[in-house]
Amino acid sequence: MTKDRREFLLNLGIGSGIAALGAQTVASMRSLVPNVSYDSPTTVKIGMPNDFADGLQFLPDQRLYVFRDGRTFHAISAVCTHLGCTVRAEALSQTETKTVDGKPLRLTHRFLCPCHGSRYSGDGTNVSGPAPKPLAWYHLSVAPEDGQLVVDLARPVDRDFRLTVV
Amino acid sequence: MSASPKNPSAAPAAPGVHPKRLWSFRPASDRQAGDAIVSNFMLHWFPAKSYKASLAWNYSFWLGTASAALLLLLVLSGLPLLFLYIPSVERAYASVKDIEYVITFGSWIRAVHRISAHLMVAAVFLHLVRVFLAGGYKNGVGQGQKREWNWVIGVAMLLLTLFLSFTGYLLPWDQLAYWAVTVGTNIASSVPYVGPTVRELLIGGRTIEQATLIRFYVLHVLFLPMLIGVLFGYHMWRVRKDGGLARADAARLLSDRQDVAPTPSKTYTLLGLARGTSPQVRASSLEAQGTTVNSIPDLTRRIAIVVLGTIALVGILSVFVRSPLEEPANPLITPNPAKAPWYFLWLQEIVTDTTLHIGSFTINGAFLGGVLLPGVLVALMTAWPWLDRSPGTAAGAWFASSRRRQNFVFLLLVAGVIALTVVGTFLRGPYWHFYWPWQAWPELPSRI
Repeated sequence: MTKDRREFLLNLGIGSGIAALGAQTVASMRSLVPNVSYDSPTTVKIGMPNDFADGLQFLPDQRLYVFRDGRTFHAISAVCTHLGCTVRAEALSQTETKTVDGKPLRLTHRFLCPCHGSRYSGDGTNVSGPAPKPLAWYHLSVAPEDGQLVVDLARPVDRDFRLTVV
Repeated sequence: MSASPKNPSAAPAAPGVHPKRLWSFRPASDRQAGDAIVSNFMLHWFPAKSYKASLAWNYSFWLGTASAALLLLLVLSGLPLLFLYIPSVERAYASVKDIEYVITFGSWIRAVHRISAHLMVAAVFLHLVRVFLAGGYKNGVGQGQKREWNWVIGVAMLLLTLFLSFTGYLLPWDQLAYWAVTVGTNIASSVPYVGPTVRELLIGGRTIEQATLIRFYVLHVLFLPMLIGVLFGYHMWRVRKDGGLARADAARLLSDRQDVAPTPSKTYTLLGLARGTSPQVRASSLEAQGTTVNSIPDLTRRIAIVVLGTIALVGILSVFVRSPLEEPANPLITPNPAKAPWYFLWLQEIVTDTTLHIGSFTINGAFLGGVLLPGVLVALMTAWPWLDRSPGTAAGAWFASSRRRQNFVFLLLVAGVIALTVVGTFLRGPYWHFYWPWQAWPELPSRI
């Protein structure tokens, strides 16, 4: 009888001790999980369409390659799909036109990664090296208020995406 | 006899009372040697007597002691750096630059810290290789030995050493640092399902920023050193509990189980040291006469040689070898080639080579080579003492014939790691292309 009570009280003590320690640990760990993200916004204005020359332009802040071919634009991510280094563009000695996802695309460059040697063709397809998938294409639009190009880095698109600016 | 300081051979007033305040460099008797160990706070974790065979330079090469000395140097040189370094993305680089170029002796202190870290990775790795090849994790004749657990602790400390190096070299917030965190945390993020969450926890958000730096800083200066300190203490304690190095068992096996007549050389007092007056025990010949020596001075002298030698080597090297500092971290430009420090280059080489395409199905090399393969290696290494079925006679014997096959496979793996390290260090150029040392790297713009 007494023993039962003692045992019960002992277990209660140990149990609540463990529970208290556990709760405090969880609280401490939880405080390390961020609730607010101060990351830069994913929708960014990148300039007037006419500021882009024909061909390719690298936007370092967005780690993005923007291509202009006459009045059409498309944007390819510069983030290597293997381990996230910034790929570099290398101009091809002669341009070629390839049909990508049913639409013709003029390829002027290819992309190379300095970290582990992945290679991508001009449309972002992974050709060789450790890259597991193609470079992402991102959605482009024109801001209604001032006519600037807007890239949405949270919105990958298919490779037949083109923005035509009138 | 009176215990006058002028007469070191004088017997102490009572057992365990040592006439000197610190220790005896030249103990006049076994008893004084034993007393000096037992009564000294700094030495009480050593045995009063050591096996001669264990002390041999060419058995252990004293790599563990060297590792500990390097850890000591790292802690000591880290203390002034702690006052000088500022863990903020705006100021970290400038504070390291100040340490390197402005602060008096700053570059030397930083060099001591950096060189000790590099040497420690090498020393700890070689220590592990030595323990494996010599069957040091095997239990011999002693009772209650759990050497396999000390091996596990050792593997954990190797990983901690690597993680300490990783967290350390990204603190300067230069290009090496930034792209190392990028690649390192993306490896974590390649784990299916939980990866992205783990990465977010590691870097405290979705982009590498202040939250990342402070996390790695706290890990580097507080959490990991504390952890390695605790494990180091346990490692040493286990060595004592397990009866010293496995070599001692090998030396003992020969004469073991032979009852010898009771002699007055064994007593219950003072760890069985004092000759003379206390009750005699039956000794089943733990040690044949002459296999042991007093730890003071034989063990302490060797420890002093190794520790002081390590300190001298690092101290002098640090005068001549400058620590590099790359350009400030620039999230916009990845250096070409972007190389990890040498001890991670074999991993960089593996994550490069292990992306598999099976039909339309792709396994990212980041996961296969960066997580799975190292994970399997570590798991195998951890479990090896239980998988090793060789007899106890192989404990503490270099290249024991009963362990020939596993030693061979282990050496193959070690050679593989070293070969990949060499390839990564010397044979990789821009875009991680393969270049022979005599081939010139092409001229490429350093910026896009």
